[in-house]
Amino acid sequence: MTEASNELSAAQRARVRRLSTPRELAPDEEGGELNIIPFLDIITNILIFVLATVAVTFTATIDTTPPASGGKGVRKEIESTALNLTIFIVNDGFSIKAAGGNVAPGCASPGPGIAIPKKNGQYDYEALNACAAKLKSASPDFESESQFYITGNPSTDYQTIISVIDALRVDMRDKRRTLFTDVNFKVPR
Amino acid sequence: MTEAASGSGKPARASAAKFKSELRKAVRRNAQEPEVNFLNITAMLDIMTIILVFLLKTLGESSAAIPQNDDLRLPKSIVRTQPSENGVVLTISKTQLLVGDRKVLDLPGRESLAQTGVGAQEKRSGPNDLYIVKLGNALQAARKIDRRVREAKGLDPSSSESIIIADGTTPYRLLIEVLFTLGQNEFARYHLMVMQSKEMPR
Repeated sequence: MTEASNELSAAQRARVRRLSTPRELAPDEEGGELNIIPFLDIITNILIFVLATVAVTFTATIDTTPPASGGKGVRKEIESTALNLTIFIVNDGFSIKAAGGNVAPGCASPGPGIAIPKKNGQYDYEALNACAAKLKSASPDFESESQFYITGNPSTDYQTIISVIDALRVDMRDKRRTLFTDVNFKVPR
Repeated sequence: MTEAASGSGKPARASAAKFKSELRKAVRRNAQEPEVNFLNITAMLDIMTIILVFLLKTLGESSAAIPQNDDLRLPKSIVRTQPSENGVVLTISKTQLLVGDRKVLDLPGRESLAQTGVGAQEKRSGPNDLYIVKLGNALQAARKIDRRVREAKGLDPSSSESIIIADGTTPYRLLIEVLFTLGQNEFARYHLMVMQSKEMPR
């Protein structure tokens, strides 16, 4: 019977060497996870495609109330000193009616006719804006007034109506001055 | 020396405990840090998928998702207000009238719309009437649901709001008929949807 030694024998050293060497992975054992790179590519492409094709449009809303029909409608009480600005969109331009009656061409005085005729076949929104600013300045009572009425020919398109609302919103010569922001529709006769 | 100590031809072997101890030491000595031979992108993929789903859902529900095509092109405006999200959505395209996603009416040509609106057969009492019967019926149903929604939200249930998405070429006559029908069905406030523009359209 051999005595146990403090030193390893050559065979034991060889065995220790063999057992302590890290095992090399077989090629099929390496990276034991699903290869999701092609899937990731697809996702990235879809993401870019979605971002590129979605038309980013910035929208806004203009608030209003039901149209007046036969003197009825949901809206604020209007004092007798109010301007009661009404814009009629007709084929030849803008006819304007205010507290003093119909506004004459040129927006200078009361009188019959189209207050803001078309310019080169186009509606003149700048002149409409200037006229609205002038009418609002006519009396201190009108300064706090923000509502106006709008009506048009049955064939007037929606874009023209929105452009009129825009033209009456802010004084183009003094952008800090608000003119008429509350729109009310009237039923065309 | 150990061989000599054993007194036989066989070499002396260390004890099993010594062998195990030496083996453990050798294993520790030879141990390698695991080699990073692939990037674990699963977490990133999860995030990207969530972002994609979130983006699609948000875009699908937001007002920015209003389809801009030949049938429906919003008017442009310089207004910069935040678009209202509350209310029953009513869409007027060139060919159809919709409440929410449901088609209510097919619209006639623009010439006809400008003269008599949607037509006498769709009105309550003749061509001069402004009330569109089919639209009114659809709005009554929408109003019932909206009333309950408003009650649940703590809003005033006595009237509803409507978001009107209309094509820029919609004739005033049709617009008034729609607004009038809304008013007759307890819709008291309308939000006219427009597309923001830097300059006022000419």
